[in-house]
Amino acid sequence: MPELEFVNVRKSYQSPTGEGLLALADFSLTVGGGRFVTVVGPSGCGKTTLLRMAAGLIPSNSGEIRLDGAALTCPTPKMSMVFQGIGLMPWKSIEGNVALGLQLQAHRRKLTEKQTALIDTTLAMVGLKGFERYYPHQLSGGMQQRVGLARALVRQPEILLMDEPFGALDAQTRAVLQDELLALWGRVKSTVLFITHDLDEAIYLSDLVVIMSRRPGRIKQVLEVKLPRPRASYDVRAEPEFARLRSIAWQSIKEEL
Amino acid sequence: MTQMTNLLPGTPPKNGKSIVAAIGGNQYLLGILSFAAFFAIWQMVSMNVPPIILPAPAQVIAAFVQLTASGELVRATAQTLWPFAAGLIAAFIVGTVLGLVLGIFRPAARVLDPYIFVFWSIPNIAWLPLFIAWFGVGTLTLVIFVFVSAVFPQLLTVESGAREADSFLVEVARSLGGTKREILRIVVLPSALPYIFAGLRIAVGRALVGIIVGQLLIVATGIGYMFQFYGETLSLAKYFAPLIVIAALAVLLNRGVNWAEQVLIPWKARAFT
Repeated sequence: MPELEFVNVRKSYQSPTGEGLLALADFSLTVGGGRFVTVVGPSGCGKTTLLRMAAGLIPSNSGEIRLDGAALTCPTPKMSMVFQGIGLMPWKSIEGNVALGLQLQAHRRKLTEKQTALIDTTLAMVGLKGFERYYPHQLSGGMQQRVGLARALVRQPEILLMDEPFGALDAQTRAVLQDELLALWGRVKSTVLFITHDLDEAIYLSDLVVIMSRRPGRIKQVLEVKLPRPRASYDVRAEPEFARLRSIAWQSIKEEL
Repeated sequence: MTQMTNLLPGTPPKNGKSIVAAIGGNQYLLGILSFAAFFAIWQMVSMNVPPIILPAPAQVIAAFVQLTASGELVRATAQTLWPFAAGLIAAFIVGTVLGLVLGIFRPAARVLDPYIFVFWSIPNIAWLPLFIAWFGVGTLTLVIFVFVSAVFPQLLTVESGAREADSFLVEVARSLGGTKREILRIVVLPSALPYIFAGLRIAVGRALVGIIVGQLLIVATGIGYMFQFYGETLSLAKYFAPLIVIAALAVLLNRGVNWAEQVLIPWKARAFT
């Protein structure tokens, strides 16, 4: 199983006054084995920085990020990222946007028959059958994020990076998409590294919840969530174990606010 | 859906449509009404001033028919259309390509932008004596003058459009593995497309001014010369004939650009229809 490793990763930004602003300090974490890992932490703790470095979008200052043991410096076809802002191309149809996931992975504009079939099944999987020819602006926010998810999943990634993907959605849509994400994850068996500031979401989705300190971000605590799956089949949030984990996580985060 | 709307409190039933709503909803009717009002006002004003100031609509139409029948207006239109089209098309191509290049490669823009700005700021009339000295009195000078009038708005609008590309979309494309070339094709060019049309709209207007001014001052042919001739001889009824041609050309081109924009940019959600 593929593994994504952060080894003593450090990242600082130049502030407008010219001083260095340390966002992330000596961060080490290994994710893999098809597990669902969520990173939570106070706002500004470097969560998004972490994910953008994992995606190969920005370099770290020191330390190393490795995928299957090899240093990672640029985006790789083995990973896909889902963004909070979704980032669909307004000029491409839903089908065209999902196809982009494959076209940019293989650097080929023309799709093979197999790829076209894959796009169809992925669109069906996220519940967008019949919307192939729509443009993004004709879809609701929740449906747009399904397209974002389809664009990531169609690449059949070993590791799925998700940066607060449901952060901009209303509570009902968010709950529906959380369940759908878990169902999809059960099928595709990718490792997921998920970022959120919502503790309930983190516990509900994950095998492992990583709690970060305030800036500069370090790992403060790691919680293992052993609530049985599939979690959509019973009222997980009413379980005493859920309440216990939530309380621990909240205490831990509160100290960092 | 319609039934639902009617169930909403305060929504009036559809059969009691007001006259204002009926007219506002029909684009053609609105156009005809405004046209009729325009002619009515024109007729009224012309009845109260000497014909040397403003001829009546009927006189203008008669003069238009006469000039068309004699072939003068058709010939003049043809003489105007060719250099206009040549200059405008050249300006569109050069302006768009150069605008994209300068919008994407910042070092090139840093070198060329000051020059472009200076050229763009100089009133195009000021170029005329120079162009006549360089290229003589003829159609070539006319084409070049139209080109220079239209190329800068096209170039500058496209350049700023290419720079408008959303950095987040660029990042998304990069995260999917997109190379520089792919990002150019998938993100930058489509975001510049609306600007290409915006530039073209300004370029068309400027090229029209260019061709008329050019024909007035350089070659003494075509529509521009008709303006000069009938203006100076105070034959105002005939003076309106070339004016109608230019106005029709302007409207036609604008419609054409709008149509092309709607066909080529189907993704745009329009706020006002």
